[in-house]
Amino acid sequence: MSRFRPILLALLAFPLFAQQPAADHDALLQHAIALHQSGDLDGAIRAYRDYLAVEPDSVQARSNLGAALARAGRYDEAITEYDIGLQKSPDNPALLLNLGLAYYKTGRHAEAAARFERAMSLSPQFNDQVTLLLAVCYNNLGRYKDAVALLAPLEKDKGGDAGFDYVYGTALIGAGDEAAATAVMNRILAHGDSPEVFLLRGSLELAAHDRVRARADLEKAIALNPKLAGAHARLGELLLALGDGEKARAAFAQELALDPDEFTSNLNLGVLSKEDQAYVEARRYLERALKVRPNDPGVRYQLANVDLATGNLDPAREALEALVKESPQFAEAHATLATVYYRMNRSADGDRERALSEKLMEQRDALQTGTKPR
Amino acid sequence: MNRWWAAGAPVVAMCVVWVSLSGAQPETRRPHFTDIAPKSDFAYRTDNNFTGRKYFPQTMCGGVAAFDFDNDGRMDLFFTNGAKLPEMQKSDPRFYNCLLRNRGDGTFEDVSAKAGLQGKDLGFSFGVAAGDYDNDGHEDLFVCNAGRNALYHNNGNGTFTDVTDQSGITKPKDVLSVAAAWFDYDNDGKLDLVVSNYTVWTPQIDKICAINGQEYYCHPKIYPGVAHRLYHNLGNGHFEDVTDSAGFGKDLGKGMGIAIADFNGDGYQDVFIANDTVRNFMYINQKNGTFKESGYEWGVAYDENGNAHSSMGADAKDYDNDGFPDLFYNNLKGQIWGLFHNMAGKYMSYVSGLSHVSRLSEHSSGWSNGFIDYNNDGWKDLYSSNGDIDDMGTVSRQPDTLFENVDGKQFRDVTNEVGADFARAGFQRGSAFADLNNDGFPDLVVTSLDEKPRILINSADNGNHWLLVNTIGRRSNRDGVGAALKLTTASGRTLYNHVTTSDGFMSSSDKRVHFGLGAEKAIESLEIRWPSGIVQTVKKPKADQILTVTEPSK
Repeated sequence: MSRFRPILLALLAFPLFAQQPAADHDALLQHAIALHQSGDLDGAIRAYRDYLAVEPDSVQARSNLGAALARAGRYDEAITEYDIGLQKSPDNPALLLNLGLAYYKTGRHAEAAARFERAMSLSPQFNDQVTLLLAVCYNNLGRYKDAVALLAPLEKDKGGDAGFDYVYGTALIGAGDEAAATAVMNRILAHGDSPEVFLLRGSLELAAHDRVRARADLEKAIALNPKLAGAHARLGELLLALGDGEKARAAFAQELALDPDEFTSNLNLGVLSKEDQAYVEARRYLERALKVRPNDPGVRYQLANVDLATGNLDPAREALEALVKESPQFAEAHATLATVYYRMNRSADGDRERALSEKLMEQRDALQTGTKPR
Repeated sequence: MNRWWAAGAPVVAMCVVWVSLSGAQPETRRPHFTDIAPKSDFAYRTDNNFTGRKYFPQTMCGGVAAFDFDNDGRMDLFFTNGAKLPEMQKSDPRFYNCLLRNRGDGTFEDVSAKAGLQGKDLGFSFGVAAGDYDNDGHEDLFVCNAGRNALYHNNGNGTFTDVTDQSGITKPKDVLSVAAAWFDYDNDGKLDLVVSNYTVWTPQIDKICAINGQEYYCHPKIYPGVAHRLYHNLGNGHFEDVTDSAGFGKDLGKGMGIAIADFNGDGYQDVFIANDTVRNFMYINQKNGTFKESGYEWGVAYDENGNAHSSMGADAKDYDNDGFPDLFYNNLKGQIWGLFHNMAGKYMSYVSGLSHVSRLSEHSSGWSNGFIDYNNDGWKDLYSSNGDIDDMGTVSRQPDTLFENVDGKQFRDVTNEVGADFARAGFQRGSAFADLNNDGFPDLVVTSLDEKPRILINSADNGNHWLLVNTIGRRSNRDGVGAALKLTTASGRTLYNHVTTSDGFMSSSDKRVHFGLGAEKAIESLEIRWPSGIVQTVKKPKADQILTVTEPSK
């Protein structure tokens, strides 16, 4: 496990203890910093707030307050403080980094990624600490190609580092580069078995529809580390593919018990709940998935389906119209939009969307070789 | 006597009070099924000629029809079979199709050779449809094949004649036909024919698919879709292929089961065709000899996620007795079996989740299926014949499932409560419903790959009442296919059904219309809306009988 620790260390927030406080209230701020450094987070938070009541423009105190709140697990409050600090000092890379970390911890990976990117552009010295974290964000956002682009230039230097290889391997699998992912996985394997390597290998096998081996590896990963991020979600996907919805539901639920914001589990539980016609529950899961990947077309499509199923035709139409405008190749969205139009007695619009959907599906079918088991 | 009567009364009253206080309805006895096939001496086994090489059509073998070919009042059975591959010939008796005559004593005799139905000159056979296409009072057969399809005319003397060549029923070269259904789409009194086609296939163009050196049945995506075909019955044994002019030619599918019903209540029969990995088709009859494919409008083209699944068998019946036929199709494990509630003839609402069908079905790969009121409680239950496509998984052999309808709202799985013969695991494929012993409780015939079929007799022992209606059309087609029946019990409960032989996958069922009446013994009326438009009402027919109703002349 220790081989994978670098990613976790990067999650610590950085207080700006080194800066000098303003002279008038020096003692109050010094007191707050002392409490912070002693680990009395509640006392430090109170003291920083007292200081900020008289020195509201102090970026240092604002940043430290955010760091204390983050360390206390009060991420939403931390985000508020960092945002105020950034209004005063928009290009402060440490504030951006800390804000990114707070967003990361609350599962808001898109916001986190944006802050990390900005922090890296302003302060290249952060690159070492932030690159891997940014790549994890990209992976969580489904931006696997971006993660690969970020990490590939570093492979020569970092390859062999277990943390790096794990994140890079995950990105390569997501990007569909199974050959490169296999090479990375073999590099990790050279150091011996680990839950992470079983997870990577299981994910690769899942992608290759080798379900028997995938199941064995994913179950090994979980047996070795039941809290391994992503392992239950992958197993859930596999179980769904095997037709065991009940066990898949349990696997996704276990993943969410470890990380309530894990995207795949929220999406799949949303879809499964929708299929059960438990629409309130479905919406809750899907909206959480959308929080992790804002604007994700798949999630928005599922939410539109919930609207259609519950008879909310106008919201469904609006969402689907936006989707097909943004993603004109989204055949399923065109098909569902056709049904919505027909239900609204807009036959001409329905005919148009149906024709588009069928054309797109034909094009897609033509590209599929069908050389995989059902 | 009076004294004894007076003394006895309180005892009865106490019993009533006890039942009431217990808060429980006495549990109705659940019928079970017993396989009587072993009692009969016949050689037929469903043989897809699997010898290691996996040819695409081998997954689909063993169509079955229940029909009374000799008019003795007892349902007989016909089974289709595979062929030697790659020769694609029924070169050995083990590949022959099979006709079993119902002796009426719980046994069946193989009369295939005498009847001329072995199909020695056919290729690999799939579905079968029974119907009296020439209105001569004798049920005919249509057999779907890889290779040429076959129309068999029932000569009325226990034999059949292959009349395909002179019938005008042809199809494009090398098209693989899976299933067929007889119905009268223009209400002209003659049964027309719809055939669901899957792809263009010959053993010579069969693809090989393998993973880690292990061969598996290729994904359907590897084969092209084709048009389903519609044949208009011109009379005198002649048919016209109206596929294109009727609106069937535009949509390319991979056809499996066919369900026929008047979905929008306009008096004309509509057609649902389940497609494998292609969207499903709902052909709505335009009442002018044409159809409009309306799967999108009706919400049955795709599942709720916009995905086309491996839709297999299909059936359309009114499971909640609201007067509109609903729709069911099954598919493979990991997908969601589709139960759709007909919204007053306007569109279908997906109710697999609410009805519990989605969760009940998630472990099963379904093929044939259908609504069957197996316990005669007036609510149509859901049967599915199951088994994986391939033999690669750990649970490839699967038991059939029976989901019992609870008040027309939900279903519960009673598979393990209806007998070990029912729950036998296998690679089940075709199925037909028929009252084989005319006891008013539907029986079930199921084929399984590489096995003798099961002939599952319903124990019929829960005391519920029933009515079986045999319709004979005069202005309408003689079978009465398409007639809509509404039964009203003495208590005012209304039950609905319609005449069709098409349900499930590759199969054809007892054309007689079955009604379970529950505990009610009295029927107020039976209304029949014939395809001709004539509405006939039978007042107070007796329950627990097979009632033959002949269409009035006007």
